[in-house]
Amino acid sequence: MTMRRSIERARKDEDFAEEIESHLAHEQDAQAARGVAPEEARRRARLRFGNPRTLRERVWRHSSLPWLDDGARDLRFALRSLARTPAFTVITLLVIAVGIGVNTAVFSVIDAVLLKPLTWPDPGALVQLVLNTDRGAFAGASIPEFALWSQQAGLFQQIAAYDFGAAGVNLTGGDHPEQVQAVHVTRDYFALFGAPVVAGRTFTAAEDSANGGRVVVLSYGLWKQRYGGNRGIIGTTIQLDGQPYLVVGVIGRNFVTDTPVDLWVPNQFDLNSHEMVVNYTVVARLGPGVTLAQANAQLRLVADQFRRAYGSHSLPPGGGFGVVPLQQFMVGDMRFPLLVPLGAVGFVLLIACGNVANLLLARASARRRELATRAALGAGRSQIIRQLLTESLVLALAGGLLGLFFGFFGVRLLLRINPGNIPRIRATGPSISLDPHILLFTLGVSVLTGVLFGLIPAIAASRPNLAATLNEGSSRSGTSFRQGKVRSILVISEVALALVLVIGAALLIRTFRKLGEVDPGFTTHNVLTMAMSVSGDRFQTTAPVAHLVRDGQDRLQAVPGVLAAGASNCLPLASGFGMVFDIVGRPKGNAPFTGGAGFYSISSGYFSSLGIPLVRGRVFTERDDASAPGVVVISQAMARQYWPNGDPLKERIQIGAGAGPAFAEPPRQVVGIVGDTRNRSVDRNPDPMMYIPLAQMPDGETALNAKVAPLYWIVRTRENPYAVLAPVEAALREASSDLAVAHIRSMDEVEARNIARQRFNMALLTIFGLSGLLMAAIGVYGVMSYSVQQRTQEMGVRMALGAQASNLRNMIIGQGMILALLGVAVGLAGAFWLTRFLAGFLFGVKAWDPMAFLLTPLLLCAVALLAVWIPARRATRVDPMTALRLE
Amino acid sequence: MVLKRPPEAGDVLQGTLDMLILRTLVMGPAHGHTIAQVIEHTSENALEVEQGSLYPALHRLEDRGWLASEWGVSENNRKAKYYRMTPKGRKELAAATGRWRRMTRAIDLILGAETE
Repeated sequence: MTMRRSIERARKDEDFAEEIESHLAHEQDAQAARGVAPEEARRRARLRFGNPRTLRERVWRHSSLPWLDDGARDLRFALRSLARTPAFTVITLLVIAVGIGVNTAVFSVIDAVLLKPLTWPDPGALVQLVLNTDRGAFAGASIPEFALWSQQAGLFQQIAAYDFGAAGVNLTGGDHPEQVQAVHVTRDYFALFGAPVVAGRTFTAAEDSANGGRVVVLSYGLWKQRYGGNRGIIGTTIQLDGQPYLVVGVIGRNFVTDTPVDLWVPNQFDLNSHEMVVNYTVVARLGPGVTLAQANAQLRLVADQFRRAYGSHSLPPGGGFGVVPLQQFMVGDMRFPLLVPLGAVGFVLLIACGNVANLLLARASARRRELATRAALGAGRSQIIRQLLTESLVLALAGGLLGLFFGFFGVRLLLRINPGNIPRIRATGPSISLDPHILLFTLGVSVLTGVLFGLIPAIAASRPNLAATLNEGSSRSGTSFRQGKVRSILVISEVALALVLVIGAALLIRTFRKLGEVDPGFTTHNVLTMAMSVSGDRFQTTAPVAHLVRDGQDRLQAVPGVLAAGASNCLPLASGFGMVFDIVGRPKGNAPFTGGAGFYSISSGYFSSLGIPLVRGRVFTERDDASAPGVVVISQAMARQYWPNGDPLKERIQIGAGAGPAFAEPPRQVVGIVGDTRNRSVDRNPDPMMYIPLAQMPDGETALNAKVAPLYWIVRTRENPYAVLAPVEAALREASSDLAVAHIRSMDEVEARNIARQRFNMALLTIFGLSGLLMAAIGVYGVMSYSVQQRTQEMGVRMALGAQASNLRNMIIGQGMILALLGVAVGLAGAFWLTRFLAGFLFGVKAWDPMAFLLTPLLLCAVALLAVWIPARRATRVDPMTALRLE
Repeated sequence: MVLKRPPEAGDVLQGTLDMLILRTLVMGPAHGHTIAQVIEHTSENALEVEQGSLYPALHRLEDRGWLASEWGVSENNRKAKYYRMTPKGRKELAAATGRWRRMTRAIDLILGAETE
């Protein structure tokens, strides 16, 4: 378009030139006809015509779009002038690009987790049913609770209970058995979440009732991958744990679950059950017009009803039912952790803006004479402003593009260090991409910065005070003092912000190192863990599970290279159960619970496989089986807490009283005390723990366990545990008659996952800290090197008057370092105030950790010194003669 | 893309030149030099201007669609660009003449009243 236009215009101009020639010829003819000599005739013709060039220019301009042409000219000029100062251009581009890139990447992740509404239809009406206690809201629910909630007519449109499928099921019947994630759901689950059905249907009410038959709904992924997306699968049966299940439907690809799900089976609750085990998550869609407050009010009444029906101990004292918006519940404890990167990213953006402003201000004032000269030559004020704005816009947009690039890779980097427990980021196929809105936002911010800080010097420079500016010597300071002050303040702020960032990063780095030094109480090195799903009819009672565990443990210990092997229903740092207990003979408290403790069912080899030391008494042997008297081993923390003076080895405890019929069992004798382990996470003090032999579990508990947790195998090896993976798997396959293992991880990996959140925070803040540090250094460098350049003449005079090079250097360094030190002082104050918000993320380090608060300012000063050193050296190289002749 | 600029109502002189050009072309197509000559002569040389300044006006009128142009051969046997009035130009001439007459009449009235 513009191209064609300019060609057209050139053609027209040529045409006009010809027309002028024709006119002149005619006029010459006319003059000649009056008898004027040819030479004179030509002269007169030209005289009468006027200046052809001016005319052509007038016509030329007439047939052009002024702003477009001027814009193109400004653009060309901007590119040329930016190319003339490559250092400035590259630094500014990098600053903008890093600012935008980091921002976009982090915002994209945060937005997907925190800000974006759930992808389910009308997510605002979705609520999580919770048990409110004085210790907070808990999401777990039992069948009787679900049954009572479901009866609340009008309160909920739909209500569904589901588990997390952690136990997994064995998909058999093909050429290779496979462990898959099966979630047990009640009928309304699919309607509630608006799950699209691509084939068949979801469960009917009959299928979700007790004795409803074996039916299954497949996920899109499993359907495609294992059954080739064949619609004929509907109405056929597949083998789950050796039992035939009728496939009734397939769910669409777009259905998002928090954790990956391969298939769904109906819960088939017995709604008259008195089973108080808290195994389910209950989510509901509020009825039309029902508010959160109304729902909560009604649920408080329901809690009273529940107490009346199941006894006063069925709910903790003061506890009641309630609802929490689902999204708030899901991202609830993510909100604060994500606010830290959000704050840090804001700091980086501020530093970037300050830097860009600084660089533009310096550039504009370095060009005052150039601009004044151009104004003197006839450039209009608006033309100069437009020209400078074009330059800043070119910078902002080019930097933005570069930032897009950085952001694209930044998102991938963030996903790589994603701890794996940020909700809604899935390990496979990240559902997060660069968000266009955020990109536009940050691009807008950078353009705004460019325009704003480009405009101020542009307006200042375009003031028609030409004579003063042109006559000004290069060493003047009066007129540029104000701008110099603005730039100094900008640099001080940058240094301060960077210091806060780096101190934050230093605190998190120290936290992470402290975490790594924590002894979890068990061996993590050369230990391999695997999960085996023991669901299905084969494992509904304790005996077959005990047999499997004993056989498997024997086979594992026979594998060459294996030092010890064991099994348990929980894995330290990965999963765990808690259980109530009473000490036999002690007066009961106000509840049936005398206490609560972590509760592991383990094999005889568990302690030795994890290297957990025996402190007193004995550990389990193979003789502690179902026929032997009940025994329990407790941890030191439990002994300390519940037997501060007595001897636990002389007492018996009753585990799980009041938790439901599945847990009914006779009291157990405490036979041993073992070392403490940090089972939940390494940054928490060891919980009190009790261990019972897997072989002594009540049958009902074994059956329940199989539904919610897999069996974990633990193998300690002489060398790299993965080296024995193949024989270990083979041994387990033989022992279990062909069950697969999944989630194969070394204990080191389990521990790494456990502190992945801290690593994520540390990595993020380190990135921010480093980019902030770099940008602050650029800021100091820019201001000082500009100042040196401006004062070249002054330096020359000083040297001519006998100043030593070292004096000059020290002067420059001193001036630069004053800025840096002021920034450090401000930053320290800010950090003292701000790091308290980090306190929740720190471990083993105080928020005012002296190391961080001493070393970081030193680091920053060192960097600033380096940034000042370069321009200072340049100042000493000034040749007095050249400098004096400069103007 | 043709730029459409509104006729500058305030610019009386320019508008007048436009009108004069259009008036000249009532007699038939003419090239630039002829138009300049005609305007000079018929105004008894009162409106003598730089001849060149005629051309931006010609081009402007052509842009507005009041004139059309084509290259031809002049009476001197030279190549010349001939301008011809379009129907749109004819309408504009009528309108402009009307405006002019109304204005001069108004001015005459005022001037006449003062002298009497």
